[in-house]
Amino acid sequence: MTPDVWLLAVAVVALLLVVWSAWTLTRLGRLEARVDRAWTVLDTQLQRRAALAAELSRDHTDAVGEERAARLAATAREARTPLAGDRELAENALGRELRELPHGLPGAPAALRADLEGTATRIGLARRFYNDAVRDTHLLRTRRLPSLLRLHASRPLPRFFDIEDGLREVTSSAAGGGRARP
Amino acid sequence: MRIGLVCPYQWDVPGGVQYHVRDLAETLRATGHHVEVLTPAEREESLPAEHVTWAGRTVPIPYNGSMASVQFGPVSAARVRRWLREGHFDVVHVHDPAPPSIGLLVCMIATGPIVATFHAATTRSKWLAAWGPVIRPWLEKITGRIAVSDFARRVQVEHLGGDAVIIPNGVHVAAFAEGPTLPGRTRGVDGPTIGFLGRYEEPRKGLPVLLEAMRAVVRRHPGAQLLIAGRGDPDAVHGLLDDDLRPHVSLLGELSEEDKAAFLRSVDVYCAPNLLGESFGIVLIEAMAAGAPIVASDLDAFATVLEDGAAGVLVRRGDARELARALGDLLADPQRRARLSATGTRVAAAYDWSVVARRVLDVYETVALLGSGEVTAQDDDPGLAAVPGVSGGEPDGAPLRTVLRRWVQR
Repeated sequence: MTPDVWLLAVAVVALLLVVWSAWTLTRLGRLEARVDRAWTVLDTQLQRRAALAAELSRDHTDAVGEERAARLAATAREARTPLAGDRELAENALGRELRELPHGLPGAPAALRADLEGTATRIGLARRFYNDAVRDTHLLRTRRLPSLLRLHASRPLPRFFDIEDGLREVTSSAAGGGRARP
Repeated sequence: MRIGLVCPYQWDVPGGVQYHVRDLAETLRATGHHVEVLTPAEREESLPAEHVTWAGRTVPIPYNGSMASVQFGPVSAARVRRWLREGHFDVVHVHDPAPPSIGLLVCMIATGPIVATFHAATTRSKWLAAWGPVIRPWLEKITGRIAVSDFARRVQVEHLGGDAVIIPNGVHVAAFAEGPTLPGRTRGVDGPTIGFLGRYEEPRKGLPVLLEAMRAVVRRHPGAQLLIAGRGDPDAVHGLLDDDLRPHVSLLGELSEEDKAAFLRSVDVYCAPNLLGESFGIVLIEAMAAGAPIVASDLDAFATVLEDGAAGVLVRRGDARELARALGDLLADPQRRARLSATGTRVAAAYDWSVVARRVLDVYETVALLGSGEVTAQDDDPGLAAVPGVSGGEPDGAPLRTVLRRWVQR
């Protein structure tokens, strides 16, 4: 074979590689934006829950009870500015406090109760969608060729966000019918 | 909220996904949202005058014994793009985006919040295993995924990656709960009736097992009648009957939506003897909404809907003797039937469209939060956009490619 043919073959391979890399970079860029957006949504909902919990403990101490209100206020503060730096831990503590509130919260305004419930549902959904985006990113980044070509290698891998939430409710096939299958 | 729904199957052909999209759109509209639908149809005139846009016709392709419809190409892409541009949607909701249809085209072309529902009406595992990796780059753009059942979610996780939130199919409970019954077939008055609904030629629907069981049921309840509704060849059923059974079986043929509701309100027991993978079992919910006590085989989907036997009797699939015993016992026990009927009504209420649409709306509001902008169409053709050298979308792709071209053409 003449050197020209060799050159052509190499060029074709190089071209394919460039096209493939560019396409993969597009995908990675898209995924990065999706992870960012999903995180913003999740973060907003978590902040909102903390704000609602703070409002509940501040303005409706009677409905919650003195001691519980103090605990709720503390966990809400911690969730907004996690001192130990572990957001998941702080959010879990707040979630636990909120779940242990008396059922139906007699004494608290209906609007606040509905808000709290709605936020809990949204957190479940937002967390699912965020982790979904993270999972897609991981799958693409850890494939052989992208990691060999060091595509996006300098950027940190996004982390999963794992907290205990009302996920059971979100995944159940119907409200009330969501018992775990034996 | 401005919502765009995409149905990849022909609107004027009856089907679960089509009804799902239609009912979801109606329910959301009733709560004050602006909903547009994009769908293919055999005839453009068959579409409603407003809020439904025609996306052309699909091409039927024989696959695995049934027909898969395919719609893919520049003309469809142009229609999708125009619909997206003119719609100004806050969120676009695609149904069954995996097959090569307008659902997938929307995933390729749209940028912005995309929600997708995976129905997985049939398992095409081999096909999905090969096709999944090909379409993955575009499915990655979906922000929120919904599966209609645990079964649909498993199919989606295994073959298409990602996870999904489970939101079940909806039913218009009121349409089944109230209304007339079939003439001369009033429940509890005109002799005990057992109902079966479905394409009865398909062995997986389990009609032969039910007919086998009917022999024993008829011996115990000489007045019992089996009513069979659905599409199929009547001769195929008559071939399975002998002279003893023939007077106890009636074929009603294919029923309209209203007649189906009347049929479910008329029967004393509804029986679903299916042998194989039903993804969801919406008919069981319709039967419960109509107050019919249910005897069903123990498929996963059925057990979930019937709350592991609390809302209906579950029998081992394919076991005619057990089925006969369950049907006979239930026909002999009116109080138990009344209890099951009451539980069924309560269970069905959770599947009412008002409840289900609210949960879908929660998903929309989650993905479209913070004014993340409306859904737009990418400027370039998806085929060209896939090659950044041509579209110029990538910073290093374009110059490199030009250099290469010059180098190759020297």
